[in-house]
Amino acid sequence: MNRNTNKFSSETIITVFFSKLLKINWIIIFCLIFLGLVGVASLYSAAGSDWHPWARNHSIRLIFGFCLMFVIAFIPFQFFMKYSVLSFILGIFALILVKIIGSGSVQRWISFGSINFQPSEIMKLALILILAKYFDHISKIQLNKLIPYIIPILIIMIPGFLVISQPDLGTGLTIILLGLSILFFVGISMKFVIFSILISISSVPFIWQQLYEYQKNRILVFLNPEMDSLGSGYQIIQSKIAIGSGGLFGKGYLLGTQSRLNYLPEKHTDFIFTLISEELGFLGSICIILVFCLLIVSIMKISFKVESLFSKVVAFGIGFLIFLYLSLNIGMVCGLLPVVGAPLPLVSYGGTSLLTVLIGVGMVLSINIHDKKM
Amino acid sequence: MKNKSQKKLEQTISRRFLFLSLLKGSIIGTIGWKLFDLQLVENRKYEKLSDNNQFNYRIIAPERGRILDRKMRLLAGNMDGFSLVLNWNKHLNVHQIIENISAIIILNEKDINNFYNKIRYQKNNFSKQILITKNLSQKDVAKLAVRIIEFPEISFSMSKRRVYPQGIIAGHITGYTGPYSKNIENNALHGIDVGKRGLEKFFDAQLRGEFGRKRNEVTSKGYVIDSQIYENTKPGLDIQVSLDMKLQAFAVERLQKGNYDLVFVDSKNIKNQISKLKNFSYVSKNYVYINKKKKVVNPQSGSLIVMDINNGEILCSVSSPGFDPNIFSTDLEVDDWNYVKNNSRSPLLNRSMAGVYPPGSTIKMAVALAALESGIIDYKTRFFCNGSKEVGTSKFHCWAKDGHGNLNLMEAIEQSCDVFFYELGLKVGIDKIALMMKKLGLGQYYDIQIHDRAKGVVPNIEWKLKRDGLNWSLGETLNASIGQGYILTTPLQLVTMVSRIANSKFAVNPSLKMSSENKKFKMLNINNEHLHFIKKAMEKVVVGKKGTARNYKIGSKNIEMAGKTGTVQVVRITELEREQGLIKNEDRPWEKRDHALFVGYAPTINPKYAISVVVEHGGSGSSVAAPIARDVFKHLFKL
Repeated sequence: MNRNTNKFSSETIITVFFSKLLKINWIIIFCLIFLGLVGVASLYSAAGSDWHPWARNHSIRLIFGFCLMFVIAFIPFQFFMKYSVLSFILGIFALILVKIIGSGSVQRWISFGSINFQPSEIMKLALILILAKYFDHISKIQLNKLIPYIIPILIIMIPGFLVISQPDLGTGLTIILLGLSILFFVGISMKFVIFSILISISSVPFIWQQLYEYQKNRILVFLNPEMDSLGSGYQIIQSKIAIGSGGLFGKGYLLGTQSRLNYLPEKHTDFIFTLISEELGFLGSICIILVFCLLIVSIMKISFKVESLFSKVVAFGIGFLIFLYLSLNIGMVCGLLPVVGAPLPLVSYGGTSLLTVLIGVGMVLSINIHDKKM
Repeated sequence: MKNKSQKKLEQTISRRFLFLSLLKGSIIGTIGWKLFDLQLVENRKYEKLSDNNQFNYRIIAPERGRILDRKMRLLAGNMDGFSLVLNWNKHLNVHQIIENISAIIILNEKDINNFYNKIRYQKNNFSKQILITKNLSQKDVAKLAVRIIEFPEISFSMSKRRVYPQGIIAGHITGYTGPYSKNIENNALHGIDVGKRGLEKFFDAQLRGEFGRKRNEVTSKGYVIDSQIYENTKPGLDIQVSLDMKLQAFAVERLQKGNYDLVFVDSKNIKNQISKLKNFSYVSKNYVYINKKKKVVNPQSGSLIVMDINNGEILCSVSSPGFDPNIFSTDLEVDDWNYVKNNSRSPLLNRSMAGVYPPGSTIKMAVALAALESGIIDYKTRFFCNGSKEVGTSKFHCWAKDGHGNLNLMEAIEQSCDVFFYELGLKVGIDKIALMMKKLGLGQYYDIQIHDRAKGVVPNIEWKLKRDGLNWSLGETLNASIGQGYILTTPLQLVTMVSRIANSKFAVNPSLKMSSENKKFKMLNINNEHLHFIKKAMEKVVVGKKGTARNYKIGSKNIEMAGKTGTVQVVRITELEREQGLIKNEDRPWEKRDHALFVGYAPTINPKYAISVVVEHGGSGSSVAAPIARDVFKHLFKL
């Protein structure tokens, strides 16, 4: 670390900048820009060929997010390591705050003036950072016994249940899944994994009792959407109709009838992929999924290559987070999963998931630039 | 240098990394497979569902064909009507909307009730158009149209309303239309009318045309954002019928007038009388009929048919009292319906075709023909009438109390002697009489373009045995010989009978269709000489010195009518009553008075038209029915 700073201090800022710029993984940037543009185009279509109200805002957010991402990419990742604990504590604090002052009957948001901020999304990043730091630290001593996993499990479960109690089952489970995947990644023993899977399966009935009525309904309706074809099942039925009627080539950009005639609820947020599937067909949908895959694979590649455990875990975490977003969202809209609120980052309308992903990718880029092995 | 545990960790991470990548790959693969399944395998199914969402189809009614008379006068046509429709969806505050509309135009209470019923019986929550009212005036439309911005949920639709310009004059013939189905759920066919009676029903297939379809593009909230014709309608065909509405109009008026006088409703006396009568019918707004005793009376009930004896075309077919088919075109008012339904004189009954009456003396031609054809009598055979005939213990009276003396067949028809025909009936027997009646067209249905019809009764020995299991008695033959007893005929059958006699060659059948080509009728197969003789006798009824209709000659040089009167007793007169002296017809209650009948044809040379007149409880055939027939002929021949 000291060597690093010494080396850079002898050069001008501009050369530093350009050398960093050269190290940026341009495949990732391409994927992000592509997906962002798909998002703008889809939101333009969702509003009935209108920039207002979504497409324009989305563009502004994208530009802001990209700038932020580049700034973060140029910050040495040791900085994140340093502030990981602080960010986690702040995140927990924000989650508690949201419980107290959160707006709406569903307490997910903190409002700053006109900007709504969802702490649970940022929590995901904080969680990745603190776990990465923890394992990076612990690996230097020992790792293999079960005891060192007790603290990270707490670290995962506290924010996880805080979010579930908002109530936001989808995000809460995402946080827990993300955390557990990192535990798995850093080598928690297989026995423990199998044991906890059994525990969680056997606890399903108890969790079921703890669920809110609307959450139970969502799951029941997921199992049989026709049960309530005009109520909760309506969304998923109409979503499947939209996707299915798209066919191979789709109905054409701006020509999706399901979206144009308002049969798709939430078509600009969580169900944006439905609109894309309807208008661009199977080819379009697969294309978007492939770009996401390319993004995830590129990030994973970085995770595979980098030296320090912290970097590995952070890159893996971000990649896995994007994967979780993708599979939860598309799994939900095509009826593979129950309807849980899960955005499609960069594409669907909503600033927090966009920022989470861009900041996350910014950190990955920073790791890519600053990890000395590269 | 890395220590051992770190190396091991690296290995673990690599393994786990691979494992997780495989897991992610398979999850993405599952999603891809699901999309493949939805978009390619099940694409057809979802495309259909999507179309169902996007479009709904509505049937458009074609313009119904017109009904025209023989001179192309309009019997049934279409008029523009405006309907008010609510584009309903479950989010609407229906009461509020109706209240707001009511503030601008007056909505019929019945319409509102119907409307709420329709909303209440919604089976599902899919948005749809619901009719508020069909009877919007142009003024209402204008009032609402200027404020339409306040009512985004309502829309107007122009519809065609069936109109019958002839109104009450030809209600039984034109019939009327009504909604396709009583099931209000059947929204697709909503507002489409089909023929329910009369010509409207018979020619429904031709008149209706072919339905078109409209394709609406609807949003999930049910707003129609685009609408286009998907299948074009084909308008219905016009139907021309043989009626002559001018003659029909004249005949209606003449039949209803009978021997009454028309008076203007002004005196207190008349108004008083009207207020005491139930179900009273005015002639027109301020006119009523009074009888000879200055009593206010209902117009005469009965039937009048004029038929072309050569091709069977019906020129006019009156049934009184009539009904105005226009009342069925809009939503039927309860008052209107009660009037036609509960009226003791049953205006809905088409007396010409479905009303049955004993034919009375008008049947005597058939009896005479049966006798002549069987060779039992000839033109010179004479019988003596002393006013009555005794068979067994019963006494059968002639209408002339003191008898007609000694007379032959020609004189018997001319004077309508009953005793002569009793003797004939006894000699010929009921079976031969029945056979001749059938030959002349009685006791059967005709292939006429109206569904309401009656067969009537032509009794014979077998018929009675079948019906009652009883033997035929001679007394019943006597009754049948003068058209009383079991025998029942419709006015249409009577006019057909006369047509066949006048035609002498073919067994003409009545028809309301214009005959573009000469119709092929069966041969009548009755000795022409006998028919000629009967026709001469019918001429005598009018022109003979003692003819029963001698007072009602047409009196033109070229054209005279021939015919036969009939007076039908509707109640049995006992011997006691006969001895005490008969109560005059006019003094009996209406229901107990005699029916007055007249059948005939004109001109006597080269006959062209046949007529039958039935005046229900009108009195005697000679004084009531015959003058009506004469006046109709006069009108027909423009004399």
